[in-house]
Amino acid sequence: MPSAEPRAPLVRVSGLAKQFAGARALEGIDLELRTGEVHGLVGANGAGKSTLIRCMAGLVTPDSGTIEVDGRKVIISAPRDATELGLAFIHQELNLVPHFDSVANMLLGRAKSTRLGLIDWRRTRRPALVVAERLGIEFPLDRRVDELSVAQRWMVSIGRALVGNARMIAMDEPTASLSDTESRRLFEVVRDLARSRVAVLYVSHRLDEVLELSDSISVLRDGRLTRRLTRGELNKSGLVREIVGRDLAAAEQSTVSAAVPGQTPPVLEVHRLRRGVVENVSFELRRGEVLGLGGLVGAGRTEVARLLCGADRPEAGTIRLDGVGVCFSTAADAVGHGIGLVPEERRSQGLILNRSVAFNINIADQRPLRYLPWLPLLHAGRARARAVELTERLGIKTSSVDQPVSALSGGNQQKVLIARWLTRERKVLVLDEPSRGVDIGARAEIHRIIRDLARGGTGVIAISSDAEELVALCDRVVVMAEGRVTGELEGANLTEEAVIALSYAHRRTDRSVAT
Amino acid sequence: MSTGVVKPNGGPSTLGATGARAPAYRWRRFLHLLSRYGTLAGLAIMMVVFSIAAPKSFPTMSNAINILNQSALTALIAGGLTMALVVGEFDLSIGYAASLAGVLVTGLIVRQGLSIWLAILVVLGVGAVIGAVNGALVTKARVNAVIATLGIGTILIGISFGYTSGAPITEGVPEAFPRLSLGKLLGLPNPIWIMAGVLALLWVVLNRTDLGQRIQAVGGNPEAARLAGIPVDRVKIIAFVTTGVCAALTGILLASLLGSGTASAADSYLLDAFAAAFLGSATLRNGEFHILGTLIGVIIINTGFNGLSIFGADTFYQYVFKGGILVLAVALSTVARRYSQA
Repeated sequence: MPSAEPRAPLVRVSGLAKQFAGARALEGIDLELRTGEVHGLVGANGAGKSTLIRCMAGLVTPDSGTIEVDGRKVIISAPRDATELGLAFIHQELNLVPHFDSVANMLLGRAKSTRLGLIDWRRTRRPALVVAERLGIEFPLDRRVDELSVAQRWMVSIGRALVGNARMIAMDEPTASLSDTESRRLFEVVRDLARSRVAVLYVSHRLDEVLELSDSISVLRDGRLTRRLTRGELNKSGLVREIVGRDLAAAEQSTVSAAVPGQTPPVLEVHRLRRGVVENVSFELRRGEVLGLGGLVGAGRTEVARLLCGADRPEAGTIRLDGVGVCFSTAADAVGHGIGLVPEERRSQGLILNRSVAFNINIADQRPLRYLPWLPLLHAGRARARAVELTERLGIKTSSVDQPVSALSGGNQQKVLIARWLTRERKVLVLDEPSRGVDIGARAEIHRIIRDLARGGTGVIAISSDAEELVALCDRVVVMAEGRVTGELEGANLTEEAVIALSYAHRRTDRSVAT
Repeated sequence: MSTGVVKPNGGPSTLGATGARAPAYRWRRFLHLLSRYGTLAGLAIMMVVFSIAAPKSFPTMSNAINILNQSALTALIAGGLTMALVVGEFDLSIGYAASLAGVLVTGLIVRQGLSIWLAILVVLGVGAVIGAVNGALVTKARVNAVIATLGIGTILIGISFGYTSGAPITEGVPEAFPRLSLGKLLGLPNPIWIMAGVLALLWVVLNRTDLGQRIQAVGGNPEAARLAGIPVDRVKIIAFVTTGVCAALTGILLASLLGSGTASAADSYLLDAFAAAFLGSATLRNGEFHILGTLIGVIIINTGFNGLSIFGADTFYQYVFKGGILVLAVALSTVARRYSQA
């Protein structure tokens, strides 16, 4: 019981709230972390975990609410403030300097100087060596960190936090790219940290390890903290129920092992595709079908999209387009074969922001805009007319097609990217998070456009972290977890709960979800 | 600027009415206008001032033609540079490439006995190869463009000096060669016609061809262009080749104008070209490089030079003017990009 200990908790967050552009990201969050405690933080994609962490780290300013450290109210307005309070944050990207060695990374920004103003390496290195010993680091400390494995880099990051006398360390998905053995080793370190009175805020999608490690667990759902659970109070299925917010009874027998082959032949067949996290992914896409690709962030869906669109080359496996094996070496290759991608990061990967709407629509295929087929001279009127026709057809709200695309709303920008692929013949269109950052009205329109596209004969793959969207949009959904396909849902079996359950169906513990 | 249904988020148009934000908004608006039309206003002011100060010599038809004629070579090399800049890269080798083209074209005519036209063709080819090497280094070997083109440029200096052994090639240049740049057509010197023709061609390529649109897309967002199916590397290399050919053409015309091939004769065009292109990017557009802007930039610079020489200013003022305008141009271009949404 929390009241048993008289002392104030190490960190107490109360009433924290944050909105982004009117949308609730966090609301009324109360969270307590005690010295020496491992506290698990779980929730589905978009539940607000990273926003909460970012608020505590000083990367995001909350709209309201307070944060106390040792019972004193503090204001964390920059990462520096958090560091000074002894709060360390290890994000998935780790933020190490790749060509510095481990010691230099642990000591970043803490060099001690000699009387001459030069760095006194012996004095500076000492704390890093002490910490390395404490963590039981066995790899050579003078190796550049970009030559280390991900697991070793995690050790360096934890070491860096400890050199800074961190009293709380938040870890975001630490085991996402670790092997089982490496994960085991990390758990040891986490337990050791707790024993030496460091609090650990452990954020992970992997419920088994959260259950195994945590003294208490907080569940976030839709920006609210739904429950705080203490050790032994929960099993995995209960936790999943808490995350989803509904009973999973329906989900339990929902997995369909193999889809019944449809009338139409598949336009795209993916067989045992492998690269990086993607392990033996197979599925089929039929002409005129919207196939969803579901799962948690990091499940390997975007990686599959990149393989399909020629951005990466598979290490193994085959892709067949209309029954013919294909192997793309560039994105241009894939586009030439009729596979288009509407990427996840609209602004950085999709749009040419400083150009007009018409430019952005027309850029993927200019051939039909030539005066004569053999003369590479473009007919400006024809280009404009095509852009105007497509903006009207897709209901893109813009004063003129000559307006810079950067001035459009997210939903309209997304439609511009879809319009881009309507300018040319296509067999398959892959949309990665088609309605991210888009308001509800635009989302419905984008869904309608996607379904119309499929009805027109295009095979559509829609990647989404939002189970609700997948159910609303797709004819069939393939769910991935940790780089593998964990199931395929269709018809009556295609429910939000089933999608989420399969998203958590990790290979080590497939059983526990079903029971 | 945008009258759209959809306003850019946080756009000042919604805040303009509130008292506290108004001055800041007006300041932004001013910077925005300055960055789009400041260069043109500067040109106009310069012309008015020079006209009042030297009413006999500045505002005359012959001086206008003179300014254009002096602008021609800079405009050619700067127009070519604009292609590299539009694709999102840099080319610091252009001045040295032009110098090499100058000694090479005279050398080929004088020493190898090539006909003028054949020599020109060969040298334009050399310009293309230089551009291709720059492009390949930047795309395939992923060398930073500044370093790659500076390195190649330095090699070109060496080749120029090696080829001429340090002495200008003057003996035996046929008379027809200087006529190329000294001749006139319909009352206008040839270089003006060549400039007009090449810039028009570059404009059409950039704005009215598949290739030009792809160049602009790659410059705007290389990752997006790649995912849209554009062969980014190839497009970049082609842009560098265009830059190289334009530099070679500039060098050929300069050699024709001088009647000799001199190593390092065209080196100083590098800074002029950059100043012109950056001034141009802050003209009419929001910090984007474009051909018309580059031309205006060249005219601004040469109008300034012209005024300085009419007033008999010492040479060192030219350097001060040139350096000052380069810095000013880059600053304006940055402002233009930052306040493009005002």
